[in-house]
Amino acid sequence: MFEKFGEILENRHEYAREWKKRTGGKVVGFFCSYAPEEPLQAAGILPVRIIGGHKSSDKVGKFIAPNIGCSFCRDALGRGLEGDYDYLDGIVQGQTCLHTGEAFWVWEKHLPVEFSYFLAVPHSTQNVGREKYLAVEYAKFKKALEEWIGKEITNEDLDRGIDTYNTNRQRIRQIFDYRKQDNPLVTGTEALDLALSGQIMDRNEHNQLMKEVLEKLPDRQMDRDPGTRIMIIGSVNTDREFMDMVENQCDLPATIVIDDTCTGIRYNFNDVNPQDDRLMAISLRYNHRPPCPNKDWPRRRRIPFIKHLMKAYNVEAVILFNHKFCQPHQLDNAVIERELKAMDIPNLTLEFDIRIPIGQFRTRVEAMLETTMDII
Amino acid sequence: MAEDKKEYFRWVESTYVNPDIDWKKAEIISAGIDVGSVSSQMCVLCDGEIYAYSNTRSGSSSPNSAQNAMDLCLKDTDGLKLDDIHYLVGTGYGRVNIPFCQRAITEISCHGIGANFMYGPTVKTVLDMGGQDCKTLRLNEKGKCLNFLMNDKCAAGTGRGMEVIAEILKVPVTDIGDRSFDIDEEPEPVSSTCVVFAKSEATGLLKDGWSKNKVLAAYCAAMAERVVDLLNRIEVEKDFAITGGIAKNKGVVKRIEKLIGVEALEPKMDTQIAGAVGAAIYGRALYKKQKK
Amino acid sequence: MITAGIDVGAASTKAVIMDGDKILAKSRQLAEGEEEQVIKDAFEGALSEAGITKDSIDKIVSTGAGAKNVDFSDDSITDISSGARGAVFEVPETRTVVDVGAEQARAVKCNEAGKLLDFATNERCAAGSGAFIEAMARALQTDFDKFIAYHFESDKDIPLNAQCAVFAESEVVSLINSEATTADISRAINNSIAERTSSMTRRVGIEPTVTVIGGVALNKGFIDSLQRFMETEVAVPDDPIFTNAVGAALIAQG
Repeated sequence: MFEKFGEILENRHEYAREWKKRTGGKVVGFFCSYAPEEPLQAAGILPVRIIGGHKSSDKVGKFIAPNIGCSFCRDALGRGLEGDYDYLDGIVQGQTCLHTGEAFWVWEKHLPVEFSYFLAVPHSTQNVGREKYLAVEYAKFKKALEEWIGKEITNEDLDRGIDTYNTNRQRIRQIFDYRKQDNPLVTGTEALDLALSGQIMDRNEHNQLMKEVLEKLPDRQMDRDPGTRIMIIGSVNTDREFMDMVENQCDLPATIVIDDTCTGIRYNFNDVNPQDDRLMAISLRYNHRPPCPNKDWPRRRRIPFIKHLMKAYNVEAVILFNHKFCQPHQLDNAVIERELKAMDIPNLTLEFDIRIPIGQFRTRVEAMLETTMDII
Repeated sequence: MAEDKKEYFRWVESTYVNPDIDWKKAEIISAGIDVGSVSSQMCVLCDGEIYAYSNTRSGSSSPNSAQNAMDLCLKDTDGLKLDDIHYLVGTGYGRVNIPFCQRAITEISCHGIGANFMYGPTVKTVLDMGGQDCKTLRLNEKGKCLNFLMNDKCAAGTGRGMEVIAEILKVPVTDIGDRSFDIDEEPEPVSSTCVVFAKSEATGLLKDGWSKNKVLAAYCAAMAERVVDLLNRIEVEKDFAITGGIAKNKGVVKRIEKLIGVEALEPKMDTQIAGAVGAAIYGRALYKKQKK
Repeated sequence: MITAGIDVGAASTKAVIMDGDKILAKSRQLAEGEEEQVIKDAFEGALSEAGITKDSIDKIVSTGAGAKNVDFSDDSITDISSGARGAVFEVPETRTVVDVGAEQARAVKCNEAGKLLDFATNERCAAGSGAFIEAMARALQTDFDKFIAYHFESDKDIPLNAQCAVFAESEVVSLINSEATTADISRAINNSIAERTSSMTRRVGIEPTVTVIGGVALNKGFIDSLQRFMETEVAVPDDPIFTNAVGAALIAQG
């Protein structure tokens, strides 16, 4: 039922090239979920998230030292340097963490594209004045886009873009709802394919595929033991191999029922509430969405959000991960771990790299699952 | 390698058979095999009591390592064979490759149950220093693991690390602990714990006039520091016990105790068999459950 | 002018005696036992091969990790400089030198005179050095020549995940237990080192001719992988283990 999403995800570069040929349109890559996608969509552009391929490259070491750079960004930049993304017409980044910023700046300088734009997103999503600030930044961005594509982006265009994205997020949430059941009708691995494929393909096409799935999903029969209900918390999760190991290869059954990652629910939780000032409407959405730890201060809004999800999806155990050298998530995970300990929820913290030691990770995941079993 | 060239890293393989038990009279015979990357052990329980065990060096093939451990364990058991064992549990990093076990359980859970058996129900914190990894466990009074932390990225603080040091300094690995205390003054721990560079590091220290014992002391101190980091993160609660090969190295153990201010319980049996013992106890419980 | 270069490395000490551009003797002693003795033996081996005594030598320069331990040398120089000088002597078109030793690896940029322009080293990580390969070959229970031959029997590229050389051994062991053939594993090991070496070299820039020196240069499988990652052919001198010592001897000549 979800195979198509996985296929498109795996063949994302062919998809983008084919889309360009088919529509004659432009493709813009972005590194992080704070990049403004609705205006790009409104401009008729295909926004694609730049992700790694879980393959190391010897070309990155010159720009990002292997012993201090975020492993996800090194992987993503590596794919660029190896030529995988030569079809991009532009790159866009919203200010979040140093590492994605670094990846953007190196890309801009060494893999030049027609259009590159770095958006100043507010440092904190709790500051006074941030909504207005971001709306003004969007206005500047819109103007730059219009100059590039050579035509105006009207309110109707923006409405279409907003509507496409709202529909996209709503349908993902609807499909995720089926994971709340005792025997979830969607596995975590499938959910990853679903959510991530949306970030690299035309959202309208993605919406159509999801519509078809939603028609069939209620009647789906699952023939697997759901086992322990796990939540996965972290940043960008593109590690299909890991998800599959947890759900299909451990000696004890387990299902990943929900996540708090920027490739999953954190990205899809909020909609844009339409209002006259379209850019302000988009700004409100990006400011109020579940925050990246980079922007989640002075008060951590993530903790209540995570607790809410744990209750809604009946979570029994948690896997926390951070990419190697990612400070924002490392620090946040330490705090979340403390909270989970106080709640007596079994949890496991792992550090992801471009390639993970699957055997060793399996032992840790199994050991955590074993702490929930009572043989003796 | 020439037959007569001394191998300093080699510790002695061992077996044990309990002379007071007649396995033929036992109601439930359960066993556990722990295939680690450096060593493998098998333990047989008769009605929950240790009947026999073996401790051998692992080879490059996990099924072969398991077979060797079993052959050595059953050798002097008055005819006990694999078929006589009611339930066999595999554990350790090679557990997925043991063809004759009925169930695989991680070495984390097994070390918890094993430590509980070997040290008693008061054990709340366990440190396992194995061949290639270090783990710290928090247990309840039944030996069930509540929480754990593992370090398997770095060889410092592991058996492999100690074997490398033994070879470099040409000191039998089993002598390291005692020799590390035969010094005038406790040295600073070595700065680079990286085992691969240990040779250059050690050569430099010896050239500076350090005795071998002092160099050993510096390494034991560095290993202890690394391990204590893991212990502090899990928060040590008494009683504290150590399992695994390095538990036999007083040089590391005593220095750990000093750093955390808690003494480890005195081991009464071979600390390397904890995983296999735990696996055998699980085997017994699973067999009983199955019979119901 | 007769000079000597002594390269005290982690795995062995190499001594070279030169008269102008002519190499009179080369001697190598494995680093087993007391370092002072090893150095002495290497030097005396070279003296006896050249048929001269120490008094005939105008200047002795030492290099390598243990350069300062040669108490009879007149001067010491880093193997970064001596490697560049030696490589240019043996392969005059050299502009980039890659030296993968037993424990340290470095990439050097130089000019036509062998003068050092820029360099990068592997940061205290043995995963990019000869010790790693040796450990892996041991884990495969094969000797050096067979290990190289295996590389060319494979056409698959399996990635190795382990960072630490000590654990890569057990990863190799687990690969042995899986479906990977010894040939594929050998190739994977060489790929792993070559990728790190290439990454390090790109920091100084890959400018032809790239010359590879040090013990690992004798590993044809590694050279094959390296050429693929660097996207250029590389040169290997006839006796790459001695290049640093040759460079030191030349630097001694002024």
